[in-house]
Formats: sequence, structure tokens, C-alpha cells
Amino acid sequence: MTDNPSHDILFQFPLLPTNVTLAISATNLKKSYGEVQALDGISLSVEQGEFFGLLGPNGAGKTTFINTLVGLVKKSGGDASVFGYDIESDYREARDRIGLAPQEYNVDRFFPIREVLIHKAGYHGITDEEAASRAENALKTVGIYDKRNTRFDWLSGGMKRRFMLARALVTDPELLILDEPTAGVDVELRHDLWEIITELNDAGTTILLTTHYIEEAERLCDRVAIMDQGRKLTVASPESLMERGSDTIRLTLENAPNEPPAIDDERIESLWIEGAQLVVTARTGGEIAPALIRALDHNGHTVLDMNIERTSLEEVFVSLTNGEEPGKSVTSQQEVAQ
Amino acid sequence: MSVRTTGLVTLIHREILRYVRRPWNTFLPPTITNALYLIVFGVILGGRIQVTGTSYIHFILPGLIVLGAVSDAFQNASFSIFHGRWNEYIHEVQTAPLSYTEMVVAYVLSSALRGTLIAVLIGAVGVLFTNLLPSMAPIGFAHPFLVVAFVVVITLLFASFGVIGGLWAEDFDHLTVMNQFIIRPLVFFGAVFYPLNDLSPFWQNASLLNPMVYMVEGLRFAMLGSSTLDPRVSLGVLSVVTAVLVTLDVQLFKHGFGLTD
Repeated sequence: MTDNPSHDILFQFPLLPTNVTLAISATNLKKSYGEVQALDGISLSVEQGEFFGLLGPNGAGKTTFINTLVGLVKKSGGDASVFGYDIESDYREARDRIGLAPQEYNVDRFFPIREVLIHKAGYHGITDEEAASRAENALKTVGIYDKRNTRFDWLSGGMKRRFMLARALVTDPELLILDEPTAGVDVELRHDLWEIITELNDAGTTILLTTHYIEEAERLCDRVAIMDQGRKLTVASPESLMERGSDTIRLTLENAPNEPPAIDDERIESLWIEGAQLVVTARTGGEIAPALIRALDHNGHTVLDMNIERTSLEEVFVSLTNGEEPGKSVTSQQEVAQ
Repeated sequence: MSVRTTGLVTLIHREILRYVRRPWNTFLPPTITNALYLIVFGVILGGRIQVTGTSYIHFILPGLIVLGAVSDAFQNASFSIFHGRWNEYIHEVQTAPLSYTEMVVAYVLSSALRGTLIAVLIGAVGVLFTNLLPSMAPIGFAHPFLVVAFVVVITLLFASFGVIGGLWAEDFDHLTVMNQFIIRPLVFFGAVFYPLNDLSPFWQNASLLNPMVYMVEGLRFAMLGSSTLDPRVSLGVLSVVTAVLVTLDVQLFKHGFGLTD
């Protein structure tokens, strides 16, 4: 078990393995269940210290990808390594570096949660005394220390979710994998969990997060991969993904015409009239807005109000996974006063 | 303790704690059951059953020890692994940096220890009975080293077999099926309650296919000083079977049989 990843690797393994700079490296990773390709040749790289998100609809292959890394799923083809250690030939080294908080509860029901943590730390080679200390710290970190002598089944739903994180943290992992960590939890707990994992990431822990909450990915992740049907569709930062969508500009006109006025600007993707509003879609709404107002003024139209509706990661996600163009639906809004 | 030894020791410790903390479920039932066996077959019916060279209670005690030890060793390994799979908390072990051999060794050793403790309890009940009854000669241990050797080998063997059962079972019913339809018939036709040489030559030879016969006859020799089979043959056969089963266990873990998708 290591406290400081880079130091331990250097001290214990003078001949550094390949891909040492990557926390996760997957090349053409495949997993099939009969005719179903759960992973259809995924290639993915996650750098050390990165906060990386996996987005995708149910059945996209996110959990299969994670379970392949930790040894709960046997790959059908391709290669994967964690901090340079192959997940099959160097499985012990790879698994020692991972802390996993799965979506489904899979906790030892026979023992109080403090002992469960001590056992988990022990499996990773941590001595009894140190394991006991880490268990208490992990329970304090997630705020359920006073329940330390309670068995998992007797915890509330929120406490169970907190415990899953504590168990992942007790081995002080270099790579923390969180599979839907905030699924079904209340807003307060969600923010608590965000705070904890953000601090861990700031301290150098690499984090791989799967989530259905787009806001979570936008807020936390340095980069996200969008997956669908076992394939990786794209990898980019949330910001650059959002730039791929179109903004919607809504201009309220004093006397709106029945037909949209002719405006000669190649940045405009489409425009139409909706009641008293002229609706324009363009890649960068903030940049085109002044030119639009000038052009309308030149054509004799008075603009009373204007809203720019920014494209969201959710729209990009939906468009990528459905094969539609982004930018039509609206989830976030930026108002610009005239 | 090295880092890697700590992982193995922790898993063994966890497995032992699981049954030691529940003596009412783990140690008391076989103790009571075997006390009842000894009362009925040893004391009440024993005087009417003729066995050459010894009293019936002395004759059946090695078999009862084998029956209790192997049942519990098998049950512990199969239940622990299957329950872990059923509730998926075996993932805590699977995702840890333990080698597949260490995982198997931990489950086998902890289960064999439980079987050994049961053997000691049943032996103690037998000693108690024969000492309390003035008409009985006390239980002897003609070859103490062989007693230990047989108990260790048979519990290891059935713990290893239990690992396969725990990996194979898909439902709690499967565990019952294995116990009722495989273990129990082997035990009852394993010369626990009758001398092997009371059978016709054909059935004597057929019985040699039953590994339980080697266990019962081996322990009988170790305790009473005489048996139908040569104890060296019994110990050799059982050791080989145990080694094969442990090797198979490790391969099953390595290939994720019953453990990975």
C-alpha cells in the first residue's frame, strides 16, 4: 500500500513500467456477453491527478469498464493498465492502487462498519494498528464516525452512500473510482460528497467518476468521455464539449414581422419568428449578439429585450448519444439586459 | 509481518471471526447432534451391536468425528463464498491486491480450522461419555500423530471441496443439495456405522471409490490401533485428492469461475 504514489513507484520499482504517467490506459478494450458487446473496443487515457468523468446512458458500458479495471469483469480483448500495471498480469499492483465506490452496495454484512474498513485496509497490506486509525479517519471524513459500531444494514440510505466512499478511501488509493456516487442522495449529501472528492483531487488523487447528473460532470470534471453502446463517442473538457453546441438568441421586437428579416451573417445557423420574438441559433451567441442588434436596427426593427440561451453539456450529451444536432433544447440561460 | 502476509492473515482472521462470534450457530449444533448420536447408538443400542475387538461407541466415534469435521469444513467454505457472492461483498476480497492462491488458502485454512475445532468438540464429547459410564473403557488415541494428520487432511480436503461448492452454487438450494445428496450419502456409506469387512467383497471394493472410507478407516486406525485399510494408503490417497482440489480451487479463482462476469 502506498501513501504517496509517485514516491512509492520510484522506490519500489526502479525500472518504471510503461505508461507510468497515465493513471488509466485502455487500448481497444472489449467485453462481450454472447452477441452483446458491452465494451466495443474502448481506448481511453486518464492522466495522473485528473478528474475524469464517464458519461453515458444506461447500458453504455461505464460500469463494465470500471469493473474490468478492478477485476470483477474479465475482458474479452484489448489491454488496460492502471499506473502502468496491466490489469491481468500485474493485477495485484493495479488493484492496490484503486479505491472503488460502486453504485450497488456490496458490503460485508457480518461486521460493524469500522471492522469492515479495517478488514479492507488489511487486504491491502495495512497493519492492524494503522488500519484501525485509517478506518476511524475515513469514517470521520464522511461524517458517520458515531455509527462505527453499527452494521451496514442498519445505516440509513445516505449513510450507506457515505460509507461506500469511506471504504474506497480507507486504502488511501491513488485512483479513486466512483460509480454513480450521488445516485439517489439528497442535495446536502451530494454537496458534501462533492466537497470531499474535490479536496481529494486537489491533493493529487486521480478520480474516475461515472454519473447521470450532467451538472456533476460539468462542475467537477477536467475531462469527460461520452460513451454509448460500449463505444467511446468523444473525450473533451466540459467547456469544449459545450462549444460544440449552438446557442439560442431570443430577441423580442417592438413590431415583429411575420417572416424573419434577411440578415447577412455567415455565423447564423438558423433564424425564425416565434410570436414577438426573433429566434436565432449560432455557435457563439455572445459574439454575434451585437451584430444582430445592429443589423435589426439597420432594417428598422426595435429590439426590446434579448436572451442568450447557452448550449449545455446535457444537450451535447443527448445529441451525441441520439445522433441529433445539439442546441434546440434549453437547460441553462444567460440573460443580457438591453 | 510483510505487506503481502498481512493481506492473507487479515482474510483468514475475518473468516475465523465470522464463525467464532456465532458459537450458537456454529459449534453448539454439531456438539448436541453428536452427543445424541452417542447416546442412541453408543449407549442405548451399542450393547446390542457386535463389532469385533471393541465396543460400538468406540467403533463409531472416529466416524462421527469425520462426519462432523468434514461437514463443517465443507459448509463453512461453501457458505462463506456463496454468501459473499450472493451479497456481492466478496468483491471486497476480489478487488484487493491478494493473489488468487492467497484467497484460496485463506478460505481453505479458516474452514479447515472450523472442521478441526468441531472434531475436537466431538472427540471431547466421546471422551466425556466413556469416562462417565463405568462400563466403558476410556477412549484412547493409539497413534496421536496420525489422529492429528488425518483430521488436518480431511478438513483441508473438504474445505477445498467447499470452495468449489461455494463457487458453483447459484442459489441457497444448491448448497443444501450438495450437503444432502453428495456429502451425506458418502458419509453414511463410508463405514461410519459398520465395519467395512462386514460387506461382501464386491461392495467392499465399491466402497474404496468413496473417499469417506479412507477418512473413517484412517482415523479409526489412528484412534483404535486397527482398521480394515492400511492408514498409509488412506493418508496418501487423501493428501493427493486434497492437493488436486486446492490446485483446482486456485485455477477456478484465477479464471473467475462464479466470481466474474
